[in-house]
Amino acid sequence: MWEMIVSELTQAMQELARGFAHLLPRIIVVMIMALVGWVVAYLAKVILRGILRLIKFDKLSENAGASQLLTKAALPSATDLLCRFVFWIAWLGFILLGVQALGIVGLQEQIAKFFLFLPRLFVALLIMFFGLLLATFLSRAALLAAVNANFPAPRLLSVSVRTIIIIFVLSMAFEEVGVAEQTVLVAFGVAFGALMLGLAIAFGTGGKELAQQFLEKRFGRGRKDEGKEDELSPL
Amino acid sequence: MPLKQDEPWYKHAIIYQVHVRTFYDSNGDGIGDFPGLDQKLDYLGDLGINTIWLMPFFPSPLRDDGYDIADYYSVHSSYGTLEDFKGFLSSAHKRQIRVIIEMVLNHTSDQHPWFHQSRSSKENPRRDWYVWRNTDTGYADARIIFLDTEMSNWAWDPVSKSYYWHRFFSHQPDLNYDNPAVQEEMWNVMKFWLEMGVDGFRLDAVPYLVEREGTNCENLPETHAILKELRRKLDEQFPGKMLLAEANQWPADLRPYFADGNEFHMAFHFPLMPRMFMGVKLEDRKPITEILRQTPEIPASCQWCLFLRNHDELTLEMVNDVERDYMNDSYAQDKAMRLNLGIRRRLAPLLENDRRRIELMNGMLMSLPGTPSIYYGDEIGMGDNINLGDRNGVRTPMQWSGGWNGGFSAADPEKLYAPLIQDPVYGSPAVNVLSQKRTQHSLLNWMGRLIAVRKATGAFGSGSIEFLYPGNQRILAYVRQLDDEKILVVNNLSNAAQAVELDLRRYKGNILIEMFGQNIFPRVGELPYLLTLGPYQFFWFRLRRI
Amino acid sequence: MAEESFLTDDFLGQLISVGEVDILVGVPTHNNTKTIGSIIETIQAGILTFFPRERAAIINADGGSRDGTPQLVVGAAIGDAQRSSKLYALRTLRSISTQYASSPASGTALRTILAAAELLRAKACAVISPESTQMTTDWLAALLRPVYSETSDLVLPTYSRHRFDGILLTNLLYPMTRAVYGLRIREPYALEFAFSGRLGSQFLAQNAWHEETARAGSEMQFTLAAIAGGYRICQSFLGTKQHVERHSADLVQAMRQTVGALFFSLEPNFSLWSTKAGSQPIPTTGAEQEFTLEPVRINRKQLREMFSTGVAELESVFQSILSPSTLAELQRIAGLEETSFCYSAELWVKTVYEFAAAYHKSVISRDHIIQALAPLFRGRAFTFLTENHNGSAANVEDNVEALCLEFERMKPYLLKIWNGRE
Repeated sequence: MWEMIVSELTQAMQELARGFAHLLPRIIVVMIMALVGWVVAYLAKVILRGILRLIKFDKLSENAGASQLLTKAALPSATDLLCRFVFWIAWLGFILLGVQALGIVGLQEQIAKFFLFLPRLFVALLIMFFGLLLATFLSRAALLAAVNANFPAPRLLSVSVRTIIIIFVLSMAFEEVGVAEQTVLVAFGVAFGALMLGLAIAFGTGGKELAQQFLEKRFGRGRKDEGKEDELSPL
Repeated sequence: MPLKQDEPWYKHAIIYQVHVRTFYDSNGDGIGDFPGLDQKLDYLGDLGINTIWLMPFFPSPLRDDGYDIADYYSVHSSYGTLEDFKGFLSSAHKRQIRVIIEMVLNHTSDQHPWFHQSRSSKENPRRDWYVWRNTDTGYADARIIFLDTEMSNWAWDPVSKSYYWHRFFSHQPDLNYDNPAVQEEMWNVMKFWLEMGVDGFRLDAVPYLVEREGTNCENLPETHAILKELRRKLDEQFPGKMLLAEANQWPADLRPYFADGNEFHMAFHFPLMPRMFMGVKLEDRKPITEILRQTPEIPASCQWCLFLRNHDELTLEMVNDVERDYMNDSYAQDKAMRLNLGIRRRLAPLLENDRRRIELMNGMLMSLPGTPSIYYGDEIGMGDNINLGDRNGVRTPMQWSGGWNGGFSAADPEKLYAPLIQDPVYGSPAVNVLSQKRTQHSLLNWMGRLIAVRKATGAFGSGSIEFLYPGNQRILAYVRQLDDEKILVVNNLSNAAQAVELDLRRYKGNILIEMFGQNIFPRVGELPYLLTLGPYQFFWFRLRRI
Repeated sequence: MAEESFLTDDFLGQLISVGEVDILVGVPTHNNTKTIGSIIETIQAGILTFFPRERAAIINADGGSRDGTPQLVVGAAIGDAQRSSKLYALRTLRSISTQYASSPASGTALRTILAAAELLRAKACAVISPESTQMTTDWLAALLRPVYSETSDLVLPTYSRHRFDGILLTNLLYPMTRAVYGLRIREPYALEFAFSGRLGSQFLAQNAWHEETARAGSEMQFTLAAIAGGYRICQSFLGTKQHVERHSADLVQAMRQTVGALFFSLEPNFSLWSTKAGSQPIPTTGAEQEFTLEPVRINRKQLREMFSTGVAELESVFQSILSPSTLAELQRIAGLEETSFCYSAELWVKTVYEFAAAYHKSVISRDHIIQALAPLFRGRAFTFLTENHNGSAANVEDNVEALCLEFERMKPYLLKIWNGRE
């Protein structure tokens, strides 16, 4: 009986060893890939950091308002974040490539899907980034214009502009990565439509006088004299 | 191109203005004379001159260079005899050169026998031949012409103890043209010379013949009537002779002197002359085009007489104050050069001896509408001597060579009627006929070529003129046309090279032939015709359609 | 040599015809048919009176007028036929026009005039605004004579103005230009001025013709270029300044053209102004500045309200621009009653300088920085109006002078915050 166990064990051990010996080169391959990947990823990170510094990416993201968001979330600066992100993606990519070599079937499919997903993720991030930039710029422009034109609710206008653009951008980003596409689309459509309708009604009825003033200022050449005061030019 | 045969001869004349005293001395007394002038007719013929205008050569005390005449029927003894004159006249006619002489109608010298008689007593038959008054207040509106010397138009005569009228120097009493005897006698004077064979008269100081109270005593209708009568007699008895008016007036006031072709044949265009000088100085054609636009049409048989310089000062009477100041500042900074509202300088010194400018001005003289008159000596670029008093600085002896007395006379230099120009630039060794004849490209030879080209076409003498007004105001451009013949003249009034685009669309299809070198220039097309000109350069193009 | 590629062939042809001139007068226009006729007539009369013998030309740079303005200019030329003007013209007086764009851009207009001046080798040039209907013939003499007689390269105007006219000028442009560049130029942004051919060519050759400056602000840049280049500048008193009715929204546009140009100029000229201290007067002919005291009613209340609204609503923007202490102070005075409201000179100077530094660092879009300054300026304008409401002309002048000295005194502060992070 003891001999049977020993011989089974030995057999199993032998099989294991055999299997292991069979697998070993592949594991070594994976490890080599991982190592190479680390080096490449590190290089990529350094190069990317250099490029981003050159284009003053930090500044850009500050303008976008992204920096503020990151600081609030106690995350590192945009450049750092991006570099680390790229590093990890690159390294992960290489590791996965190596794992692919192991030849485990189900895993291969998932890995392929992952690689297919990456570009879309990148695009979505890009959309969000530039969308944020645009939103900040336009909302500030609207704010300044409203303040200088003596509009009654400048901040409201500014925030509205920002919100609309962010919603729009988010929807685009989600659609790009394919997360809850339909839901997002519909929700956005409804919200946007309602907002526009609401604004139109409000503007048309409540803001009649404002509309009149606005139109006069913009398109009226013969300005009706306010009658009461003189206006002197600043220059 | 042959000249039109039925055109009056004075339309194609090239006039040479000369004083016999200045030209050539044949008898060694230091004064030019008629035999001398006779000897130099070949020179004038070679130059291309076909009409000589002689300054007054009558007996005279010479207090106004001969314009103060003491005897209308004779020749001053210094210049020769009446026979000498006849000989000269005949020689000139043999060479196809016509001769016009001065006729001073308005006044005589106070040495004239008529005046002696007139002043002698109030009962003298010739008393009324002059204008006498007991006071000097009459005709108060008449201006004084010789501002630098005369204070009034009335002068006191101690002999007859009354005042006599004189528009010019006080020793030149005005004849009284209200007296028919005066009119008749003056016609007799003219007849005398016409019968001898002279081809015409330059009538001096014609605007002033008649005076009337309450007027400026210039250009009066009575004056015109007298002149018309003279012309009538002339046409009747001496057809083909010419009357040239000296009337320093605005173009509009000059027009009546042509009347309907029954008064003067020709008149000097006084207002144009200073404006030519102004245009070149300003480098702007505006003064020239302006005055020519204001110049009225004249009868077909009449002709303007154009000139650059003459024996008088460059008159600035027919310009406004702004222009006069500009001319004085530009051309006569030295106040000694200014006289009687004018500038007493010759052509070459005025143009700073700039050969190009001299050529340009002569080119305009020969191409603008009218008959050109060249002042003696200007064809070689003679200089002047402003220290000689009055206008004598421009009446110095003609410079024939670099030798003794400039080749003018064999007399001692001190005996000359006036000293020769002696400075190194204009003096006779530098500027003279002999050396210029020997130099192919001298001013003299160039003038000869210019005159020859001018004479080769009738368009300059008789043709119409149409100005082109290119955008570049430094370019004066016009087209002269006679029947089918068209000449395009382009003048660069500026000291710098210029580009100009001419609108020649109505001459489309014509080839331009440059008239001095006979080379062809591009044909006129739809686009503006581009020409480039060097400093002070001018072109004469014949437009030829083949 | 200047780039002439923006000149049309037709205009170039016209310039060839005009040839060399001694005097050139440039008039930029856009739909000025009501006023241009008398302006051109006055210019002509000025040239014929004061420069009768000089070769002169009038150049009109038009920004796409549709009302026949250019034709009026060209039709006024004095050519071969003497026009029936009261003054005699010795020479041709050319008057040509070109359209530089289909919509107005004062920078391009100026550039066209400068190009013409260089190609025509004009000795003295003047630019005249087509809206200055109070112009007299003397203005041309006052502007051009110093240049033509070669005693000056740039002649700027001074006017007799209403004391409340041009507050931006008296409270920002003049004091800051004076403090920064060390020259007491009353009208650094002038619509009529004269300059020498030398200076014109120099300015033309600079690569200063961005899209920005093409649209606006080049007059100020011109003045600054003259200062930077060490050219001789002087001022000439012209007369009364035309009071132009303007819309309040034009304040931002005006600020873009002037304050924007001023801030923009600080960076490239840093080495020039950073070493200057104090200010020098410049030679002036006639009065330096005159204030008239006609009574006028102005809606001061609105100014203060817009200031307060601005401070409140633009807080997030100001946080990027101003120092915390300045912002806090502004917020404090925004809350004051109208009677006790006072935007002091010192605070104003600090504000302006911090804005200038922010502009230099481009903390946010530069155009937004300028826009953000507008409501603060309104607050300052309110204080200025209040302080000088009952004052005499001398009082006003004293107050302006005091503000200038404040700007000069605090210049080191500007230098300090210029590069450092606050």
